[in-house]
Amino acid sequence: MSLPARVSAALAALAFVLTLAGWWSGSPGIDLPWAPSLGLRLSFELDGLGVLYSLLATGIGFAVVLYSGAYVPLHLEHQQRPHRDEVRFFGLLLLFMVSMVGLATARDLILLFVFWDLTAIASYFLIGYDRQEAEARTAALMALVVTGVTAVLLLIGTLVLYAEYGTFSIPELVASVEPGGTVTLAATLMALAGLAKCAQVPFHFWLPRAMAAPSPVSAYLHAAAMVAAGVFLLGRIYPFLETSELLLDGLVVVGFASMFVGGIVALTRDRLKQLLAYSTVSQYGYVVVLYGLGDTVGVVGASFYVIAHALAKSALFLTAGAVAEATGERRLSELGGLRRAMPALALGSGLAAAGLAALPLTIGFFKDELFFQAGVERSPGIAVLTILGAALTFAYIGRFWIGVFLGPTRAPAHRVSALLTGPVVALGGLVLVGGLLPEPFVALANAAAEASLGAAASVDVFYHLDARAENLMALSAYAIGAAALAAPRVWRAAAETCARLGERLGPERVYVATIRSLNETSDRIHGIEVRDLRTRIAAILVPGGLLVLLGLLATPTAGAYTVGSLDRGDTALVLVLATAALAAIATTLPRQHLTLLLVAASVGFSLAVVYAFLGGPDVALVAVLVETTLTLLFIGVFALMPRASLRRLAALRTPPTRRWRDPLVGAAAALAAFLVVWGALSRPSVGESVAEEHVRLTPDAHAKDVVTAILTDFRGLDTLGEITVVAIAFFGIATLLRRGRLS
Amino acid sequence: MILLLSAVVAVLFGAGAFLVLKTDLLRVVVGMVLISHAANLTLMASGLTRGKAPIYPLPNGEVSDPLVQAMTLTALVIGFGVTALLLGIAYRVYETHFAVDFDRLAEEEARREAELEQEEVSV
Repeated sequence: MSLPARVSAALAALAFVLTLAGWWSGSPGIDLPWAPSLGLRLSFELDGLGVLYSLLATGIGFAVVLYSGAYVPLHLEHQQRPHRDEVRFFGLLLLFMVSMVGLATARDLILLFVFWDLTAIASYFLIGYDRQEAEARTAALMALVVTGVTAVLLLIGTLVLYAEYGTFSIPELVASVEPGGTVTLAATLMALAGLAKCAQVPFHFWLPRAMAAPSPVSAYLHAAAMVAAGVFLLGRIYPFLETSELLLDGLVVVGFASMFVGGIVALTRDRLKQLLAYSTVSQYGYVVVLYGLGDTVGVVGASFYVIAHALAKSALFLTAGAVAEATGERRLSELGGLRRAMPALALGSGLAAAGLAALPLTIGFFKDELFFQAGVERSPGIAVLTILGAALTFAYIGRFWIGVFLGPTRAPAHRVSALLTGPVVALGGLVLVGGLLPEPFVALANAAAEASLGAAASVDVFYHLDARAENLMALSAYAIGAAALAAPRVWRAAAETCARLGERLGPERVYVATIRSLNETSDRIHGIEVRDLRTRIAAILVPGGLLVLLGLLATPTAGAYTVGSLDRGDTALVLVLATAALAAIATTLPRQHLTLLLVAASVGFSLAVVYAFLGGPDVALVAVLVETTLTLLFIGVFALMPRASLRRLAALRTPPTRRWRDPLVGAAAALAAFLVVWGALSRPSVGESVAEEHVRLTPDAHAKDVVTAILTDFRGLDTLGEITVVAIAFFGIATLLRRGRLS
Repeated sequence: MILLLSAVVAVLFGAGAFLVLKTDLLRVVVGMVLISHAANLTLMASGLTRGKAPIYPLPNGEVSDPLVQAMTLTALVIGFGVTALLLGIAYRVYETHFAVDFDRLAEEEARREAELEQEEVSV
């Protein structure tokens, strides 16, 4: 393993141990002020839900990092990419892990939102890790857009709650929410964000696309991060969700829809990772149904389901990656009989598949038991649906494992590193351990449910060797699933049709059409904007001017304007100001460039006199200096240009279309400037000015002129910036005049 | 006084805006100069106090606000640098295109773009 892989593995293991230790010792968490004026706090706490998802993120993360230590170098070799790209991979994976732990433990909705988006960003880069492939880039963008746009709903929901209750803190909100329209609205918005993240119908299409990511990323994404974050959010906001029966029923509907859509499409997929991706859609459908069914059993069941699914699904994804590395094949139709070449992998993934199919002696048996129990408690119809869902799972997972490991050998496998099979075997082992000793896992699920429900939850699971409903339902699910596996001809055509119908009419089309039309609109606006220099500048100035106008309109005008006073001593100033104004108007008249320049210069010189009368001799002197230099510079440029060109320029007539437009725009600009400047000057800031202090301190700065003391001492940094600007301008001009060569 | 100063600022700004809209690049530069004049005058006019120059030994009575003067100075010099750069650009444009009016430049640009596209097609 390379150094980055070792470091990442060590960090993941450390984080896992620390999370466990924090849970054991009942760590009080962290609570620091962040932006107190906005009521924001950096507040983290390891409650049950936080522990569950942190353990998943760090534990599964550890397995994934170990696996990646062997997988990523091979992957990079296939892609003919340099080995140093590995650092990027592990860095992003760690970022993913950190954002997941932060999300799981955040106690503040804004903080939650920040980590929520951070998971989307990390997954964007990881899904698009093979950035030279268009497919990977499209997939990454799709994941980012679907989860990023819906993340805004989470933010809006947060703000709705804040507007009503005045706090972002989750515990405070949980304590104060009452059933009502506001909470239902906020909870619906947040639930939509969660459903999009965990790839539920109709947002499910991004997940199968995300299979363009390297296998360990997929494993992590599906089992412990990103997608799991979606159901985590449902668990976190469960107190808001349960205020509305309708919302919970909606979750049940969405969950079942995802379960069947995912399950049926998974039955038809040929590419291993596609099959597993649809399986994830279906599996998180179970979790959403469980949250929707609610009650203690439902909520505990949901948390327990997430654990069981995480262990099994990560193992299966890692299997798909290892199989692809060993044989070079990624399709079910090209694979088979690998149990002989890869017995350890077959065992590990067999346990994981058995877990997902809910066979006894695996942790999966209990996940389905709780699922059936919640279904039976609700209604017979729901119970039947749960059986069908479980049967679908049995069928597609069976199809996966049997297709890869049993039957005749189709593709020869070469030996792969133990690091590629080890994590799979370990995760499969955990699935078995969970089936034999479910207590610690159930305790974790109970603790998580306690955080969701706000009340102690104590659901227990045992093997009951009797004919109770759950057992009979499990048996019928196995039977239906096995029958489906045995006779694929019966359903193949129907499932294919469903899958194709989904592709033809599914929400992915809506997404593509939306993105395309947005792109076209943007292109059109861009086309208008960049037609020529004038439109480019107008695109900046016109909206800017409109904004100022809006500001003007929004500001109350009563008493905003004062005329100011004039006294006898001001006569000279008034005269010079009038000269400046007249000269400015006169600049619009001359044709000859030299005349224009002289008129413009006279504006500058009269303003210098104005500055002198306003009590600023320094400014007046500099203005004279600048004006002189500028005038000389202009004359220099005129001298460089042939007279004929200048004459042609001077003879340019304004086209008739612009003859009225330009003066009108000028007048409008003048009017706007007048209103803004008059308003600003009429209301000088009432607070104390720092100027008095400057005047007082000038002798201490060993200066006599306050302005120079300010420039060189009190605000020396401003002057440094100013000098830098002039220096840059100088270099720019020198380069321009020397046609790009400085030396 | 406030009214008068704002009126002058408005005239400077309006004349500048008018010139900036011209097709002649050199007039555009002059327009920018006028607009920065307007900004400088606004800065100077926004002093909280008006009086004698703030230079020791301090005169009897009020002195002018030194802070806005320092800022105006900075703005003046930066405006100078920017204007010089604009002039440099205008001259460079003239050197490459032998024109400094927008309409000719736009034609030129369109012609070049068409040429580039032609090249791309032939490649």
